[in-house]
Amino acid sequence: MVRHNNQLPNNLTQLQNLIKRDPESYKDEFRQQLAHFETTLEIFNLNPTQYSKKLDEQAMFLAQVTQCYLNEMTTFPQKIVDILKTHNTILHSDMRLSLCKCLILLRNKNFVTAYDLLELFFSLIKCQDKNLREYLKTHIITDIKNMNMKHKDMKLNSTLQNFIFSMLRDTNAKSAKLAVDILIELYHKNIWNDHKTVNIIADIGCFSKITKVMVASLKFFLSREEEEKNENSDSDDEIDPRDTMISNKFNKKTRKREKMVDKVKKIAKKLKKKKEKAPIFNFSALHLINNPQGFAEKLFKQIESSNDRFEVKLMTLDVISRLIGLHNLFLFNYYPFIARLIMPHQREVTRILQFAAQASHELVPPEVIEPVMKAIANNFITERNSTDVMAVGLNAVREICARCPLAVGEDLLRDLVQYKSYKEKSVMMAARSLIQLYRQSMPNLLHKKDRGRPTEALSEIKAKQYGELDIKDYIPGSEVLLERKEDKYVEKKNNKTKKKTDDSDEEWIDVASSDSEINISTDEEDNSEDEDGEDNSEDEEEIKFDHDNGDKEQSEEILNQNNDGNRKILKAKRKISTKDLEEKIETARKIAMDTIFTDEDFKRIEAAQIKKCVSGIKRKKNIIEEDANESTELVQLSAIENIHKKRKHDKNARLESVHKGREDRDKYGYKDRRKNINCSKTNREKRKTKAYQMVKHKAKGKVKRSFKEKQIAFRNYLIKQKKMR
Amino acid sequence: MKMSKVSRDTLYECVNAVLQSSKDKKRNFLETVELQIGLKNYDPQKDKRFSGTVKLKYIPRPKMQVCILGDQQHCDEAKQLNVPCMDAEALKKLNKNKKLVKKLAKKYDAFLASESLIKQVPRLLGPGLNKAGKFPGLLSHQESMTQKIDEVKATIKFQMKKVLCLSVAVGHVDMTQDELAQNVHLSINFLVSLLKKHWQNVRSLHMKSTMGPPQRLY
Repeated sequence: MVRHNNQLPNNLTQLQNLIKRDPESYKDEFRQQLAHFETTLEIFNLNPTQYSKKLDEQAMFLAQVTQCYLNEMTTFPQKIVDILKTHNTILHSDMRLSLCKCLILLRNKNFVTAYDLLELFFSLIKCQDKNLREYLKTHIITDIKNMNMKHKDMKLNSTLQNFIFSMLRDTNAKSAKLAVDILIELYHKNIWNDHKTVNIIADIGCFSKITKVMVASLKFFLSREEEEKNENSDSDDEIDPRDTMISNKFNKKTRKREKMVDKVKKIAKKLKKKKEKAPIFNFSALHLINNPQGFAEKLFKQIESSNDRFEVKLMTLDVISRLIGLHNLFLFNYYPFIARLIMPHQREVTRILQFAAQASHELVPPEVIEPVMKAIANNFITERNSTDVMAVGLNAVREICARCPLAVGEDLLRDLVQYKSYKEKSVMMAARSLIQLYRQSMPNLLHKKDRGRPTEALSEIKAKQYGELDIKDYIPGSEVLLERKEDKYVEKKNNKTKKKTDDSDEEWIDVASSDSEINISTDEEDNSEDEDGEDNSEDEEEIKFDHDNGDKEQSEEILNQNNDGNRKILKAKRKISTKDLEEKIETARKIAMDTIFTDEDFKRIEAAQIKKCVSGIKRKKNIIEEDANESTELVQLSAIENIHKKRKHDKNARLESVHKGREDRDKYGYKDRRKNINCSKTNREKRKTKAYQMVKHKAKGKVKRSFKEKQIAFRNYLIKQKKMR
Repeated sequence: MKMSKVSRDTLYECVNAVLQSSKDKKRNFLETVELQIGLKNYDPQKDKRFSGTVKLKYIPRPKMQVCILGDQQHCDEAKQLNVPCMDAEALKKLNKNKKLVKKLAKKYDAFLASESLIKQVPRLLGPGLNKAGKFPGLLSHQESMTQKIDEVKATIKFQMKKVLCLSVAVGHVDMTQDELAQNVHLSINFLVSLLKKHWQNVRSLHMKSTMGPPQRLY
C-alpha cells in the first residue's frame, strides 16, 4: 500500500474521491486546497479577462466536496457569485461557463437559493455568448421543473414568476426573450400553466417593442400542442354499425339496404373520429385569457399602427381571429380590415381567408361581415379568374357560412350555388359543398330543387334568426328508449302478422322508408321486426289518422304512375312526420323527466341518432348540434385550400400509356429455352403438355431404400447365408 | 339491463331532505335549489368544452328579471305587462359607455330583443352584454311575450369553464317534491348526454338549497 501523499495536491480528482469517502481524515488536505483557492482567486481578480485553469479546477473541486465541510464552505458560493457579478461581461467565456457550472452544482445540492441564481443568470444573459445563454436557459427550466416535481411551492413559484415577469418588461432584448422562452417552455411542460402566466404573455409579451418577443408570444397562442397519443380505448363508447349489419343479414336483401348499411358504417366512423379528434391547437391558453375583448382590441390597434413585417402582421391577425371566434367577440373593424386584403394576388391569401372564417361566429351581425363576403364574391368567384381561385373563394364562403349561416343573403347564395354545374370539377365540388352545408342549416335559402330529398328533419328545422337560441326541453333521441319497450310488446304479435304482409304492403314499406317510424326502432331488434312493427302500428294508425293513411295509399298510386308524384308523397309524409315528431318530443320529454338514463341508454340513443341520419326523414337535430360544436373549433387551412382537381392523367390517358408500353414487349408467362422454334422439344418439355396419368410413374420418381432398410436387409442376408452353410 | 346510476328512491330521498331542511329553518327569502356536478376524466385544457341549454318544465327562479329591448309595439306590450323595457332611443343614450352597459347587464338577469333591434344590439351596446353572457334572445311578434319570458326563465345553461365542477339552479324550495324531482331528472339527463363518456365522466352529484346542507345524489 503505497500512497504518495505529496501527489494529492496535484491530483484533485483523486483527492475528491477520497474526501467523499472519508471527509474527516482528509480535512487537512482540504484546508490546504481551500487556502490555495483563495490565493488563486486573488491573483485572478487582478486580471479577470484571462482564463485560469487552476481556478477552474479548484472551484470545481470545492463545489464537489462542499457537502462534506459545511462550516468551512459557507462563504464559498457567495464568492463565486461575486466574481460573476463583478466581472460578468469581461470574463473569459470558458471561465464564465465553468463558474456557472460550479454554481449549478451548488444549486443542485441546494446551497444557493433559486431566486439568487435566477437573478444572477439573468444578468449574465447580457453577455455575448450564445453557448452560455443556451446552457443557462436549459438550466433554469430544468431547475424550476425539478422544484415543482414533488409538490408545488406556491410562494416560491410566485416570487420566481414575478421576477421573470419583471424581466419580460426589461428593455434588454435578450433577457426579455429568455424570459418569454422560459415562460412558454414551462407552460408547455405543464408546470406554470396557470392563467397568470398566460395573461402576462398576452398583456406584456404580445405588446413588446421587441419584435422577437412579440413573435414568440404570438406563436405561443398559435402553437400546436404536441399530439399526445392517448391510448385509452373508447371501445365501450363506440357506436357499432354492427347492429345494422346483423339486422341486414336477416332481411330481404335489396340494394337499398346494402347502401344503408354502408352509410351507417361511414357515419359511425365519422362520429368516432370527431369524438377522438382533440383540438389540435393550443386552445387552453386562449381560453385562459382574462379579458379577451380588451386583448383583441389592443392587438388590433397595434396592427393598425404598426409597420412590422407581413408575417408578423399575419400572425397577429391569426391570433385576433382565433380570439374572436373562440370568445364570440365583437370587433367590427376587423372585417373591413381583412376585406381589404382579400385579393387573389395577395400573398398568403388562403390564410387570410382562413382568418376571415375563424373570425366569424353566430353573433356577428350579417351586415358587418358583408364587406368580407362581397370581397370574396367579387374578387374570387368570377369567371375571369382561374378555376382554382374560384374554388378557393367558394370554399372560404362555405367555411364562413358554417360558422355564421346568416352571412350570405338569398340572392348571393343562389348565385354562388349556380356553379354547381360548372364545367371544372374543382368549382363544381366547392359549390356543391356549399349546397350541402345550407341543406343542413338553412334550406329555405336554397332554390327548391337544390334542397335535396326532403327529410323529416328538414320539415322540422327552423332557420335560426339572428341571436336566436334553440332550446330543447328534452333529450334528442331519447324517445327510442320508450319505443324499445313497446317494440318488445309488439314482437309477439308480429310473428302472426308476418305472413300477412301482401304485395301492396311491401310497396308501402319501400315508399315510406323515408318515414321516421321505420328506422327509429332500436338496434337489438332486427329490421324485419321493424317493418312488421310498422305494419302493426299501421293498423293502429288506421284508426288514428285515417286521412293520413289515405294520403299514403294515394301516394303509392302516384308513385307507380310517374316520378313527379314522388314529391307529393314526400309532402304527404312530411305532414305525417310533423305530427309524429310532436308525439315523439312529448315522449322524450316524459321519459327524460322520470328516469335517469344509464350508459347503455345513452349508447342506444346515439346509435338511433346515427340511424336517423341515414333513413330519409328524420335527421338533423343532432346534426345541428354538431355544427354548433364545430363552430367553436378553428378553421383548418386545408378546408379552404382543398380543391378537387382533375388529375393530370385520367383513367383513359393512363390506360393509353400502359398500352403503349406493352407494344414492343413479348408476352409474359412460361417460355421454353429453345432458341429455334422449329427444333424439337426435349422429353422434359414434352412431359409438360402430357396428361398427368401418363407420366405419373415418372413424377413419383425412384423410391430408394433407406440406410436402415439396407442394414436390415444386409443382416438378414448374412443370417441366411449362415444358415445355408 | 343495468340499474341507473341514481335510483328513483335516492333522488326522492334527497329532494325530501332538501325540502325538509328548508322547512325546519325558514329563511327570509325563497331558497333556490341547485344541482352541483363534479366531473372526472376530463381535462378542461384539452378536451372540448361543452355547453348546452335546456328548458325545464318548471321555472327554477321565478324572481328572475327579464328586460325587453323592444320596438314600439313590444315596448307598449311590455308596459302593459309591467315588464321593464327599453327602446332603441334609450339604448342609444347609453352611448356605448362601458360602465353604463355593464350596469345595465348587472341589473337584469336576461334580455329579450325584438327582431328589428337585435341586429343593432352589438353596434349600440358594444361588447358589454356579450361579455356578461347576457346577449339578448330573440322575441318575435308572433309569440306571446309572457310565454317567451317564462321560457327564458325556465331555461338553464350548462357551461364548462376552467374548472371541473359546475352548478346550476334547478328549482326552489316552494316547489312540490314531484316538480323538483322532474326538474332534477331532466337536468341530470341533459347534462350527462352532453358529456363525452356520459356517466363515466361524472364524479359526483349534489343537491342543495341555498342555505341548506348538501345532499349527495351520486
